[in-house]
Amino acid sequence: MSEIQKAIKIFHGPQHPGITGNMSVELDLIGETIQKAQTHVGYLHRGFEKLIERRTVVQGFTIVCRICVPEPDPNEENYARAVETLAGLEISEKAKYIRTMVLEMARLANLFMWMGGQAGSIGLGLIPQWSVCDRDYMLDLFEELTGARVYHMYAFPGGVRRELPEGFLGRLSDLLDYYEKRIVVYNNTFFDNVVFKTRAIGVGIVNKDEALKNAYVGQTLRACGIKRDVRKDMPYLMYDKLDFDIPIQTEGDVYARALVRRDEMIQSIRILRQIIEQMPSEGDILQKIPKHRKFILPAEDTYVQTETARGAMSYYMAGDGTEKIRRMQVRGPSLIHGFTLLEKLLVDSQLSDVAMTMNSLGICPPEIER
Amino acid sequence: MAIDIKGVLSPLSALGTLFEHPKTITYPEVKKEIPKGYRGFHINDLEDCIGCANCQEVCMNDAIDMIRADKEYNPKNSSACIPRIDYGRCCWCSLCTDVCPPSSLKLDSECIHAQRDADNFLYMPKNKKDIS
Repeated sequence: MSEIQKAIKIFHGPQHPGITGNMSVELDLIGETIQKAQTHVGYLHRGFEKLIERRTVVQGFTIVCRICVPEPDPNEENYARAVETLAGLEISEKAKYIRTMVLEMARLANLFMWMGGQAGSIGLGLIPQWSVCDRDYMLDLFEELTGARVYHMYAFPGGVRRELPEGFLGRLSDLLDYYEKRIVVYNNTFFDNVVFKTRAIGVGIVNKDEALKNAYVGQTLRACGIKRDVRKDMPYLMYDKLDFDIPIQTEGDVYARALVRRDEMIQSIRILRQIIEQMPSEGDILQKIPKHRKFILPAEDTYVQTETARGAMSYYMAGDGTEKIRRMQVRGPSLIHGFTLLEKLLVDSQLSDVAMTMNSLGICPPEIER
Repeated sequence: MAIDIKGVLSPLSALGTLFEHPKTITYPEVKKEIPKGYRGFHINDLEDCIGCANCQEVCMNDAIDMIRADKEYNPKNSSACIPRIDYGRCCWCSLCTDVCPPSSLKLDSECIHAQRDADNFLYMPKNKKDIS
């Protein structure tokens, strides 16, 4: 019997706890070794880019947060900033600080959720329970600030929709104290865990040259030793006034990407502490904007980028002189990581490593099918 | 091959959590406090509502219908209509409350709505006066 006749084909997803959302990977296996991997999407197509074209600017902002469920805020920020650029709106310094704070809070919440998925993918069941609980404390603060836990709909063209609640920054500071202690605990139980190291070191190695050639982003790029981060390269909001480092590793494997994410959590806490200190007490949070049928975007286009917890997320937006957006295109990290990279990384790896590799690339299927 | 002693022993520190109090609450006996400003169900101050239908116009989900009020609450309500929300469509974005000229339509922190009948998703916002 030839090798190809011995191969079996299985679908890893879309209903599989090890898949990071509504997508599947078609695997050709000989034994447990993967010969070929092919990504399939199409289970969650909601057509946001098209829906946006039928809505006014004000109506459109409520659906962009749904493009990525675990991390909606960078989408809101991109949308708001693109509209502000086209409409020539200048937002106040206080609104910029609040938006920067929300983005970093979202990054921390997302990284806790990632940690749960990454640990769960190799059977460390305790870490997901802890990290999801810790993420919930951040969601409590989001609930207080924005009125919702997941889809915040908070960053709005012209600023933000609500003032900071009384004592909010103090509560955020207390939570950061707690997180600093928790990161030590996660270090002991997860990042230094021999089970994780044995499973993750040397698996899913991304080559540095290939990472640059194929435009990989986020931790995938930084774990190869390439120091790229939109917050430093093209600073937006208040990032040029904040002091932080870009963590890198050189090995390019799953473990290196995990360490980059852990260090990013520490940097996020550092950024948030500076924001708490520098937050202006005075200032408008929202500029006056025209009513929704009278909010006209000029016939121009723009391209904005935000660094999410998974990599650079970009929006192209074009107006046509009407109250509706002519075209909006989303470029997130998931498309290139979920197709080009994942299919290549899985060849010759083991079936049990699929979930772990996928999780370490930060793939979010809703964002592929925006 | 050298054994990673630290990697073997450090996860055992998790055993320390056995002596900590649980972080979960015993729902429904103990309920989580919902913060002020949570985007829950709509309330409408009918004495202030002018029936302008701005809320209906801005809603991109078509979740708001203007229906005839059972009596006259506000003499300035020229359309004699008040909003009704379809919670099968609403996404709680609160744009409707942002565009309300007299600020009569608001979101309350109440948020539990479990019903067997699909028609119950058509929700008449409670009158603010009746709540307070």
